[in-house]
Amino acid sequence: MKVSIQTINYINQHYGCSKQINNVDDIIKKIGSQLGEVEGVEDWGHYYEGIVVARVVSCQKHPNADKLHVCLIDDGGATKDVARDKDGYVEVVCGAPNVKEGMTVAWLPPGVTVPSTISKDPFVLGSREIRGVVSNGMLASPAELNISNNHDGILEIDEDEVGKELKKPGTAFKKLYGLDDVVIDIENKMFTHRPDCFGILGVARELAGIQNLKFVSPKWYTKGENVSTGNSLPIEVKVEDKSLVPRFIAVSMSDIQVMPSPIWLQSFLTRVGIKPINNIVDLTNYYMQLTGQPLHAYDYDKVAKLSGSKPTLIARQATKGDKVALLNGKTIEFETPTILISTDKQAIGVGGIMGGSETEVDEGTKNIILECGNFDMYNIRRTSMKYGLFTDAVTRFTKGQSIYQNDRVLKKIVADISVDYGGKVASEIFDIRPELPSQSKVKLNSDFVNKRLGSNLSSQDMKELLENVEFAVMNKGDDLIIDPPFWRTDIEIPEDVVEEIGRLYGYDRIKPVLPKRDTSPSMLDDMLEVKTAIRDIVSASGANEVLTYSFVHGDLLAKVGQDSEMAFKLSNAISPDLQYYRLSLLPSLLDKIHGNTKAGHSEFAIFEINKSFCKDLLDDEGLPVEEERVAFVFTADDKVALEKYAGAPYYQAQRYLVHLLDGLGISAVFEPATKYTPKLNVSKAAFAPFEPKRAAIIKDSEGEFIGELGEFSAGVKRNLKLPEFTAGFELDISQLLKLSNSNNYVPLSRFPSSEQDISLQVDKNVSYEIVFNVVMEQLLIASEEHGYRFKLTPVDIYCPEKTSNKNVTLRVKLTHNDRTLVTEEVNSLMNQIAEFSNKKIDANRL
Amino acid sequence: MSYKNQRVADVADLLKERLSSLDDKKQILRAVELKALFAELPNMPADERASFGKDINKLKQELENYINVSADSRVLVDQIDVTAPFDINSPVQMRPRLLSAEHGSSHPLMSELKKVVDIFGRMGFVHMDSRQIDDEYHMFDSLNFPSGHPARDDYDTFLTTDGFVAPAHVSVMQNRLQKKYAVNLNEGKPIAVVYTGRTFRNEDVDARHEHTFYQVEISYIDKDINTSNLVATFKTFLEEYYQQDLDIRIQPFYFPFTEPSFEMALSCPFCKKKGCHVCSQSGWIELLGCGMINPNVMKMGGIDTDNFTGFAGGLGLDRLVMMKYGIEDVRHFESGKLDFLRQFS
Repeated sequence: MKVSIQTINYINQHYGCSKQINNVDDIIKKIGSQLGEVEGVEDWGHYYEGIVVARVVSCQKHPNADKLHVCLIDDGGATKDVARDKDGYVEVVCGAPNVKEGMTVAWLPPGVTVPSTISKDPFVLGSREIRGVVSNGMLASPAELNISNNHDGILEIDEDEVGKELKKPGTAFKKLYGLDDVVIDIENKMFTHRPDCFGILGVARELAGIQNLKFVSPKWYTKGENVSTGNSLPIEVKVEDKSLVPRFIAVSMSDIQVMPSPIWLQSFLTRVGIKPINNIVDLTNYYMQLTGQPLHAYDYDKVAKLSGSKPTLIARQATKGDKVALLNGKTIEFETPTILISTDKQAIGVGGIMGGSETEVDEGTKNIILECGNFDMYNIRRTSMKYGLFTDAVTRFTKGQSIYQNDRVLKKIVADISVDYGGKVASEIFDIRPELPSQSKVKLNSDFVNKRLGSNLSSQDMKELLENVEFAVMNKGDDLIIDPPFWRTDIEIPEDVVEEIGRLYGYDRIKPVLPKRDTSPSMLDDMLEVKTAIRDIVSASGANEVLTYSFVHGDLLAKVGQDSEMAFKLSNAISPDLQYYRLSLLPSLLDKIHGNTKAGHSEFAIFEINKSFCKDLLDDEGLPVEEERVAFVFTADDKVALEKYAGAPYYQAQRYLVHLLDGLGISAVFEPATKYTPKLNVSKAAFAPFEPKRAAIIKDSEGEFIGELGEFSAGVKRNLKLPEFTAGFELDISQLLKLSNSNNYVPLSRFPSSEQDISLQVDKNVSYEIVFNVVMEQLLIASEEHGYRFKLTPVDIYCPEKTSNKNVTLRVKLTHNDRTLVTEEVNSLMNQIAEFSNKKIDANRL
Repeated sequence: MSYKNQRVADVADLLKERLSSLDDKKQILRAVELKALFAELPNMPADERASFGKDINKLKQELENYINVSADSRVLVDQIDVTAPFDINSPVQMRPRLLSAEHGSSHPLMSELKKVVDIFGRMGFVHMDSRQIDDEYHMFDSLNFPSGHPARDDYDTFLTTDGFVAPAHVSVMQNRLQKKYAVNLNEGKPIAVVYTGRTFRNEDVDARHEHTFYQVEISYIDKDINTSNLVATFKTFLEEYYQQDLDIRIQPFYFPFTEPSFEMALSCPFCKKKGCHVCSQSGWIELLGCGMINPNVMKMGGIDTDNFTGFAGGLGLDRLVMMKYGIEDVRHFESGKLDFLRQFS
């Protein structure tokens, strides 16, 4: 919301709060702390620095150019360092068709920047020769002065408008027309619930309030102007849908003379970002800027031509085939429930949003119809979004303008048009509205307010703060009855009044005090703790934690063989990369490998702790289950893989997995994935990227599912340009949380331990685990019997060439709590193991 | 995969269905339906041709992706012994091993999240994880956004075709935490929760804007809780976080779910208010949105608003981390670039 400080000062000079804003910086600070964020400050007075009022003393045709004139101007000697003739006049060449002797103009002396160029490509004037005649600076058009778009000729300063005093040559130009203005832009979002603050009047009132000053609104706004009616231009006014158009007022006026607005008004509109059109349109925009209430003016005769027997305005919902040629040059076909303004024959405008070009007020207009309506904010928003129509009126109507102000604003503009432009009211004022409900009063007491603010204000203090912004307040003891003014549609509950009092009083005056609470500790979040543990373990083993998007492109799903049908699909993403919620984390990690490899990282491990989503899984509330996952990938390029790692990358990923699970106190078993057929779609998706012959299903020792581990299928590697030596895993964190066990401490023995290796030859197809378990089983039996403690670790797995054998070497470390073990005892245990292995799995001890 | 042309989309569905029944998946590329699409191309009106051609190529690429994925069943892959700790015949020095710890790193957003949660934890707040997929009720209705209210537009939410919402703020947890911890109030204890998580805004990405980011928010509800408590709580948190005394400035704001609402700024901890590039020479950093929880929100959460009041407020984690390290581009966070990640420990 752009706010002109000059206009606020004008308001305060005539009614308002009788205090001028002299120090803009101070008021900006005050707005910042008590009203909302100031997004921008534009010092318009600065643009006009150095420009002076001058009189054209003589005006001759340029000797060498048909369209140019050579002028001598009188600036009252106000400008220093400029070449003058003996009479003290300055020579300026001017190309404007309207330049003439005796005219009072705005002169831009050398050294001044042309205002219209300041924000683009600043053009600084000098003294330069134009076809052999020196021109000192220039005489400027309204467009060059950033007053309007008018570039037809130079600005003529009219005594009727500025007065005799300011018209004198040498006057600083910025003193005219309210140009010495600062426009501050207050963030709109702050005013989402404050329709009144979309008018400068509302902001002025608010500024008075936060300065602890009493504000008085103009009479025409509080009481309303008296306007007589007429009957020379009859109109018919109807509202078909009263729920979407709660109030609709229209009146016709005759004898209108359409012309450009006075310069001050054109300049004002330009400063707040509105293009001046003509006196009638500009005036509707001015009152919208002032009060927040949008208005619209129609050309009466154009409406008459498009109506049946009588010029008619109907506010109704669009029906099939309703097209409107809009003021922005577009023609749009509208659908219900858009509210159109229509004659009895055709639609001519979009209610509360934009007028139509067929009935626009232009230079030829003699008679007008003025409309001042109130439109349902939700419907305005829907229509605006649907057709991409964003106008100043939309901005205001979507905040919910007060239904009580339409008649007041309409009558004021009618009065102005009568006084300023001779217009005559030519019909009755049609006011189609429901019985206006009286606004509800809010009751509360000072304790309620103080308890919520942490303040210590009396009910009298509160009454005064509220009365400053024109609330009617009755207080009795601590009790307050608050009657909000008609423009405050946002005050409904006592908390709204708390906000009002707090803001007007100033939150910075309230001393911060911490809440009191007992000393009981806050509970830890187990899930957060286990995630932190995972992060610490994996990152401490040289892996890098990444975060990738929760949304993926459909291509990525296809590349890893996941079924996009199972993924939640986004319906409105701006970016084409965001199509689906991801089904698992690994594909996103795999997608990050190629880029890093290309960036020169020959070997790395990345992991992510995040969530996945699948249509299969909904919770009790009908919301998708968010699966907590950790995914990990290890990769090395061919060179590093060849130099550093023997065998399959599977084992490298497994090494990390075991390290992680160890850290969490979980022991895992690995089942070959070749026989794995996932039942749920979510499991199918998680398993999709893996190559079943080189992947395992991870379970804990009790058979609880933990996740998948392995290498990726050839297609996945090809599609994602993965190095051959790549493998990874993805685990279900809720399972890890359930299974983790931090206590696996074993007391130390006082006696030395004894170590011996045992090598067992088995058939190639017997898995390592079977051999390991057989040995383990014997060790457990022996320990039970003799009280050993032991540790069993792999030493080697060897397949001699051209045989179908596999030699597995394991190291047994034995300890006893009460004695030192002798070699014979260990030997005998080894023999026992060998014998048992032979029996069980046909193993031969080597 | 989405196709602009319905013709192509229909063929895509048909072929994908057939793909599952084919032994040699490559045959799908020779399907008559696909050839027919290509054959139509030359006869199309020029203005439709480009988009149609693009769609066909897209379909072909998609099918090739599927073939690549499923081609493996025909490639001979050696079975490995997944139960073993390392591969057969591997020399000791070339067996699997962990990388050097010095390469490792935690993601800076996650380290910081933990740090922030820990501080609030010490201040008595329990942690809740926020959702990444939610419904309109928790995103808007339960937070006092009337249906169709223009304020909803400020949130640029992603929607799914099933009507779910990607939360644009972790405030989606407010209704849940109020219901979950309402029992505290009966026991004379406050509701004090810090909730964190990933949030989303459907907007274009550039160096300063991400569609994916992290938020931290707190709620505190008890008897006689007021704005002065709100300011003091956040001030205490920020001073603990930055390990220095700070000035706090609050500015009125508007959120449907708090009344009154504020934006909170802190004096710049990097230059002690002298003005630096972090605070754009202003000496102040706007960081928090906060306010007294709107009674309508608490009523929906089952809280007795006659007896209890509360405040809530939150901040963006990405911004906190960017300021801390001087990170110039928010897109680095989700880039997965090791050159970025390895700068953190």
